[in-house]
Amino acid sequence: MPVNLSKGGTVSLSKEAPGLAAILAGLGWDNRVSDGKPFDLDASVFLLGADGKCAGDAAFIFYNNKKSADGSVEHMGDNTTGQGDGDDEVVKIDLAKVPEAITRLVFAVTIHEAKERSQNFGQVQNAYIRVVNQAGGAELAKYDLSEDASTETAMVFGEVYRHNGEWKFKAIGQGFSGGLGPLASSFGVNV
Amino acid sequence: MAVSLSKGGNVSLSKEEPNLSKILIGLGWDNRKTDGKDFDLDASLFMLGDAGRCSNDAGFIFYNNKESADGSVKHHGDNRTGEGDGDDEKISVVLGKVGSDVQRLAVTVTIHEASERGQNFGQVQNAFIRVVNEDTGREIARYDLGEDYSTETAMVFGEIYRHGGEWKFKAIGQGYAGGLKAMATQYGINVG
Repeated sequence: MPVNLSKGGTVSLSKEAPGLAAILAGLGWDNRVSDGKPFDLDASVFLLGADGKCAGDAAFIFYNNKKSADGSVEHMGDNTTGQGDGDDEVVKIDLAKVPEAITRLVFAVTIHEAKERSQNFGQVQNAYIRVVNQAGGAELAKYDLSEDASTETAMVFGEVYRHNGEWKFKAIGQGFSGGLGPLASSFGVNV
Repeated sequence: MAVSLSKGGNVSLSKEEPNLSKILIGLGWDNRKTDGKDFDLDASLFMLGDAGRCSNDAGFIFYNNKESADGSVKHHGDNRTGEGDGDDEKISVVLGKVGSDVQRLAVTVTIHEASERGQNFGQVQNAFIRVVNEDTGREIARYDLGEDYSTETAMVFGEIYRHGGEWKFKAIGQGYAGGLKAMATQYGINVG
């Protein structure tokens, strides 16, 4: 049973998915039908150590750095318009391959050039981000960006983290002002 | 105190006004005072189903089709000159009468004969959309369109929509340079 997150919701899903091993983050939205620059949403993942930071820029997986060095995280490509049904961007994660030093994976969604294009999630139709358990395809959590992040341009959706030898997922759903640059900087990454 | 929305923002009308049954959607603008042909801005409303389209042409409410088949939506009539302060055009909605297949009401404004007259929304200032509790007269929410839409001739000002058992209002402010025809086509309506 997926948890549909409302603004500010925080849920631990360890009971929903014991033995979580491989997941994917799916980002979807409708392409723009009104005039103006297309809506270009971007999914990304930050691989964090115990200090809450990325060990290096390579630990920030996004459209310009699609695969982690250890092969555990793979971004399947940038969709710049939302064209196509279902998930428009997918990031796959094989949790078993994630190195021991990585204790948290943070999922984020940002709008490319949000400031220059004067865009926010509320202007996009049917924008969502979700996390799916690859074993069985069950949706662990889903966030309605168009409705609940409506005046935001960037948000931290949730994180997968180690706890007592297993991986757990925590849904966060918090907006972040300033966009991808400041978000990445907060995790120790220079973009 | 009315909720003032920024573009993309939304508010629950049901939460703001418990027992809300009838709303008045008011639209207004100032025409820039320059020489040339009159501005005739027309408010209209598209009654949309799940797929974001009208189920038939009768779901397009405008000055030549003022009342919806289910009696829920009533357009108050065409204002041809923009004269007068406050709302220039008004549309009433009895929420309880809106058919259950209708999920969204897109409130739009178009410039009549925009191409022929060489007009666009860049020439329109202080445009706003507001939602009023028609029973009490209290303004619940308002969106002031701030940008200069200089290529658009048809605009979606905002939307009244169902969500989680409530009625909500979203500030949109997005337009179509292709005018009424382009916008109506998106909503499944042929305007010929």
